[in-house]
Amino acid sequence: MADLLIQVRNVDGVAVVRPEGFINAHTVRQFERALEALVREGRWTILLDCSMLNYISSAGLGAIMGLIEPVRANGGDILLCQLQKNVHEIFDTLGFTELYRVFDTEGEALQCLNGKV
Amino acid sequence: MRSPAEPESFRLVIPSQTRYLNLVTGLAKRASIVAGMDDATSAKISIAVDEAVTNVIVHAYGGEADHLVDIELRFLASALEVHICHTGRAIRDNEVVLPDPREYVKHPRKGGLGLLLMSRFMDEIHFIETGEGSECCMIKHVV
Repeated sequence: MADLLIQVRNVDGVAVVRPEGFINAHTVRQFERALEALVREGRWTILLDCSMLNYISSAGLGAIMGLIEPVRANGGDILLCQLQKNVHEIFDTLGFTELYRVFDTEGEALQCLNGKV
Repeated sequence: MRSPAEPESFRLVIPSQTRYLNLVTGLAKRASIVAGMDDATSAKISIAVDEAVTNVIVHAYGGEADHLVDIELRFLASALEVHICHTGRAIRDNEVVLPDPREYVKHPRKGGLGLLLMSRFMDEIHFIETGEGSECCMIKHVV
């Protein structure tokens, strides 16, 4: 099995990105390329579905961090949902849960984006 | 033969290539459980080891793939010690500057978070210069 598989779906104009596996220094370029491709296409609202993400290192966090300013400058955002406990702890430890909106489910995140909550 | 005074340990030597990171972190996680850590702590140790080995590959060796990274895990009665040794560019204790997470949140940028994760997830971190190279020693106590 590959270290990282990335699935991208379009849900009501939101790019839902589901990384499956590990994001570390070995796989981070694959993750960056996926995010950069979305930005190039002008898809500024990105929801990271982390339900299948077993692990993320600082390399992966840096990839997300590197895009947050251009994304928000263009009226978009990067949101997170379904973080596994250890992944949530990494985000929380570094204070990223203050920087990004985190949701328990994809549905809650999409509802929030659609202004329903 | 191991002296009774020496802690039990094992070593893994990998080429300085990131494709071996999963192998190392998986091993570190299992070793942490053997040392008596719970699952959550074992996950944190494996992350700290990932960051430390990545630092060696990317920064100490500058991404050059033909060097070696020597990882030794020592099982003490009340702690797990992880020693990561290399012959690349050394980092000294007094060169380590941990970023303030609150500043990161205010001014997002790439890089610099690995050491912070290591320091948050381990109890002690020391950067040591030995006669043969450099070492990052990380210690986690069994609670």
